[in-house]
Amino acid sequence: MYKLQEEMEEQVEMVGRAFVEHYYHLFDTDRSSLASLYHQSSMLTFEGQKLQGVDDICAKINQLPFDKCHHFISTIDTQPSSFAGGITVFVSGSLRLMCEEHPLRFSQMFHLIPTPQGSFYVQNDIFRLNYG
Amino acid sequence: MDPDAVAKAFVEHYYSTFDTNRSTLSNLYQDSSMLTFEGQKIQGSTNIVAKLTSLPFQQCKHSITTVDCQPSGPSGGMLVFVSGNLQLAGEQHALKFSQMFHLMPTTQSSFYVLNDIFRLNYA
Repeated sequence: MYKLQEEMEEQVEMVGRAFVEHYYHLFDTDRSSLASLYHQSSMLTFEGQKLQGVDDICAKINQLPFDKCHHFISTIDTQPSSFAGGITVFVSGSLRLMCEEHPLRFSQMFHLIPTPQGSFYVQNDIFRLNYG
Repeated sequence: MDPDAVAKAFVEHYYSTFDTNRSTLSNLYQDSSMLTFEGQKIQGSTNIVAKLTSLPFQQCKHSITTVDCQPSGPSGGMLVFVSGNLQLAGEQHALKFSQMFHLMPTTQSSFYVLNDIFRLNYA
């Protein structure tokens, strides 16, 4: 019983980590393709601003006032959420913008829901900068 | 009730309970609840409250800077994302933290914490 639970936890963690790496890689190299990770029902709260649906979310992300950036991830925590196969992921790290001397620290939370094709999409996304 | 108001009320209740009567946090967790505290994974109300009441400080005060919430899906759940400061008695500087709760409705028109993830934010 414990072994099965451990295996499930490891699975959730692997999925969470893989997703996070994929998400920030896309963000940093091909931001517009993040559209593949959101649906019409998706919600993003970005520094307090609420957006709904893949179109509005991607418009916001694409309009952020910087071209190049790099996310460095410090911590990734995952837990299964109750929604059949859903996963909550909590990330902290720093965001380096080109031309900025100091990186910005941030925390971000994702709620991932499985798709019929065996992948995940972002149903909930909350982003906050962590000011010193 | 407005979801933002519900989230704010929950957050205020949670941290004031934490700061004044930590053991009664057991009312907010169930057997299925999960806490990840600075990377350590704990499951179930009893184990979670044991962890929180054994933290190496007696008195503390949480000051909340931001609260964001979103509905999590058809089950009526709510995700709450908090950032703030944690002042420990006797410490000169407050610790900065972020915390995520996934609240699920109870049959008594209240909420319990299904998922809880806590991280300190180091400079």
